[in-house]
Amino acid sequence: MSQPGKIDRQPGYVLMSQPWRETSLLIEVLTRDHGRLTLIARSARRPQSTLRGVLMPFAPLELAWFGKTELRTLHAADWQGGVPQLSGLTLLSGFYLNELVVKLTARDDPHPALYFAYDRAVRALGAGEELSTVLRRFELALLASLGYTPTFDRDVDGRAIDAEQGYACPSDGLPELLNGRTVVAESEIVPGAVLLALAADDFSEPLTRRCARRLTRLWLNKQLFDCRLATRELLQTINGLSD
Amino acid sequence: MKNPPSLDQLISALKVLPGVGPKSAQRMAYHLLQRDKAGADKLARALDRALTQLTHCERCNTFSETTLCNVCADEKRRQDTLMVVEMPADLANLEQSQCYDGLYFVLMGRVSPMEGIGPNDIALAKLITRALDGTVEEVIIATNFTAEGEATAHVISELLKDKGVKLTRIARGLPVGGELEYVDLGTLAQAVYERRSLSR
Ligand SMILES: [Zn+2]
Repeated sequence: MSQPGKIDRQPGYVLMSQPWRETSLLIEVLTRDHGRLTLIARSARRPQSTLRGVLMPFAPLELAWFGKTELRTLHAADWQGGVPQLSGLTLLSGFYLNELVVKLTARDDPHPALYFAYDRAVRALGAGEELSTVLRRFELALLASLGYTPTFDRDVDGRAIDAEQGYACPSDGLPELLNGRTVVAESEIVPGAVLLALAADDFSEPLTRRCARRLTRLWLNKQLFDCRLATRELLQTINGLSD
Repeated sequence: MKNPPSLDQLISALKVLPGVGPKSAQRMAYHLLQRDKAGADKLARALDRALTQLTHCERCNTFSETTLCNVCADEKRRQDTLMVVEMPADLANLEQSQCYDGLYFVLMGRVSPMEGIGPNDIALAKLITRALDGTVEEVIIATNFTAEGEATAHVISELLKDKGVKLTRIARGLPVGGELEYVDLGTLAQAVYERRSLSR
């Protein structure tokens, strides 16, 4: 039990995996207390390996591993269940969450709050909850873990948000009362009522969801330094084709 | 001591193989040159032949030396069903299972958003043309039951929906002869979620 770097029963999810050598897998995982890290799953690609049906993305797991260096070895992966395998649009949305996590979080930088937000989002996708609400809540939690917690209840001058007014939300900073002023570049115009709904975590109105989508996209793009998201493009391709 | 350039070139050429790093590439090169020159010669010829003679079948996109592969050229097979698979190895295994006498389409890959492989990186456009050529009535999606295979299945179903062809997906569940006690939990759970009705 005194093996160096041995971690037991750590809640986590597989974000992505790739073949490693003849029979093994290299898995990228998000864990509650150890953040994102890479593990070698030895022999996971052998035909009789029981890890095959377990090391799937979007399946809640308990992971055990050992090793301190870059190449940590998976010791056990225990199926926790509770989430049907995602399919269709919810599956692509799940990939979107994973791409955001891989591109925007650092390895070995634990954020339990982000893990809980991810876990909540995956379970909500599995339960078939309203997609855009699930995605926006996760995006906001991810932004918070990156040190960017948007303010929705007061403006840049410290005044309470007025539901009747319009506000310009910049890519960095607090909402600014419009009031006839010219809008700065890289900002989104949002009604005060929507900001108040967001402050109350209330996504029930379609207008709130649409505005939230524009806002999180503005903020995420800034964090991504306009790096392209393959999942976003995939979703756009499909939506464009089905029109 | 430095290697002669031709040896270095061989070692770096062998590194294109998946899972082969510098160490294994060097081991392979020494083996081919030192222990098995006849084998090395055979490998060089086979590779050259494959590169010059193999193309993709015009209809199903699998590897073939002729315009139509032998499966597509077989007129006795059902012409109105098309089974979509990821790789030629999948086609070969389905053929061995002797459960299907229709035709195939081989994507030569799958959509994998995390690796940046999108719909345009596999043969989806060719599939759509083939599936909508007027002879196909049912498209059976037989991509893998991995997250990527499922994503690919979704993209195909979106591309072909409302186009007048019937779309089906192969089933998943317990292995034939499988015992609940020993099956992995992911498979077991999904078999319960996707249980089928027995009442009429
Ligand atoms: Zn063919």
